[in-house]
Amino acid sequence: MILFDKLAYSSPIRQKSPALKSLFSVGSLVVCVTFREPVVCLLIFLGMMAATLRFACLSPSRYFRLLLGPAVFLALSSVAILFVLSDTPPQLLAIPVFSRYLGISSASFVHWAQLMAVAFSSVSCLYFLILTTPITDLLTVLRRLHCPWLLLELMLLIYRSIFVLLDIADAIQTSQNCRLGNRSFRSKLSCMGQMLSVLLVRSLKRSSLLYDAMESRLYDGQIRVLEETHPACTKEWILCILWLGFCCALSLLLKGGFLI
Amino acid sequence: MKKSEKRLFALSLAAAMLFVMPSSASAMHIMEGYLPMGHAIAWGAVCLPFLAAGLISIRKTISQNRKALLILAMAGAYAFVLSALKIPSVTGSSSHPTGTGLGAVLFGPAAMSVIGIIVLLFQALLLAHGGLTTLGANTFSMAIAGPFLSYGVWRLCRKCKVNKSVSVFLATCLGDLFTYCVTSVQLGLAHPAAEGGVMASITTFMGIFAVTQIPLAIVEGLLSVAVMLALESYASSELSELAYAHQ
Repeated sequence: MILFDKLAYSSPIRQKSPALKSLFSVGSLVVCVTFREPVVCLLIFLGMMAATLRFACLSPSRYFRLLLGPAVFLALSSVAILFVLSDTPPQLLAIPVFSRYLGISSASFVHWAQLMAVAFSSVSCLYFLILTTPITDLLTVLRRLHCPWLLLELMLLIYRSIFVLLDIADAIQTSQNCRLGNRSFRSKLSCMGQMLSVLLVRSLKRSSLLYDAMESRLYDGQIRVLEETHPACTKEWILCILWLGFCCALSLLLKGGFLI
Repeated sequence: MKKSEKRLFALSLAAAMLFVMPSSASAMHIMEGYLPMGHAIAWGAVCLPFLAAGLISIRKTISQNRKALLILAMAGAYAFVLSALKIPSVTGSSSHPTGTGLGAVLFGPAAMSVIGIIVLLFQALLLAHGGLTTLGANTFSMAIAGPFLSYGVWRLCRKCKVNKSVSVFLATCLGDLFTYCVTSVQLGLAHPAAEGGVMASITTFMGIFAVTQIPLAIVEGLLSVAVMLALESYASSELSELAYAHQ
């Protein structure tokens, strides 16, 4: 139903420690965003790409298509960052507009390129995490980080209900299509409105059924589930920390101008 | 004159981009890695009081009525599904609604801020819309600013005895537009223009994103009206049950 969820469950390293996978990807993400060093970002992007293609169940072409997911946001915001309007012609590209110039200056180009590097490398970090770790495993990590139990409980319940609701929505849309719904913009709007209202009614009904079922099983306000534990070995932790340390050190060196 | 020129050009560029690229446009989620660390932390910190207040109010509600937790969870799942579905769009490209305006009208803004942060986290983890470092900023614009404005407009319209459909439309549409304005401000603050600084950058972002967001807000407003009309006609008992989430 949801592509990322399906891929996460079928990943060959799904049984590895979720804490280790989270540290690896979120740690790299933090390094990317904090230091914003294009070289380190490129390194992290390549590392994450290799790790994802090796350890997740998807083909390279599909991976690159997924990377272009936020393309519209990217394109629109790039326009704002890349193009400048000034009285003097910008260095890289200048188009005279009325009495002024619109174009790309070298400063704006550098800023844009740096932003692209950071954005794509951090998206690749996020993708590694969500393509190898199912949500339930991430919830155990959050529990160990002492996230408030109410929030965790809500997350667990919401995650479980999402798939039920998506199934209902899908079935309703299929039956609407069978009855020649969704033909024009007008009918699409009314079909979607009807579907969403039925969905809300059904979901409320379902939540009350769920409550009855849980009450009859002695629900006292807290759901206790057994956790699967997959401890990682020391070697893996050391490798992960070495990688993060290396990325940090390289960023600091590049920031300080000791290399180049 | 020069600001309007700039806006005009930005608009035309964006329109050109839009026709070249018919892929799916998600709502105004700021992409992962787009904000510097300082901004990401600051926006997260701004969200914390709302989250804490929401959690305290939910805890109080469920101590009196345990069923409210399940209703809230279903509301969250509903908000997620709403944002995962593709809505009919005028330009031919598919787009996703934010769903938070309708959520605020149905479930109340305080509950929506807690549900919103979970929904946004799941959107990042399951749909790759938004991201982990931009979670705070996205939460502020989509789960706090938008819903509170929607709810305010909705209450104001009800007080002034405006027609119910019109008030739902105004609440969700204005909530969406406010979300988009807040996101533009967040982007502008993070990436000020070389000439003109933060303000120039904010107006540019607003001008560019207007192309996708204004039609989206109108469609989402119409959709919310359709949902409310259908709910009113054959689910008024369920609607009254939602008062649990309002407390």
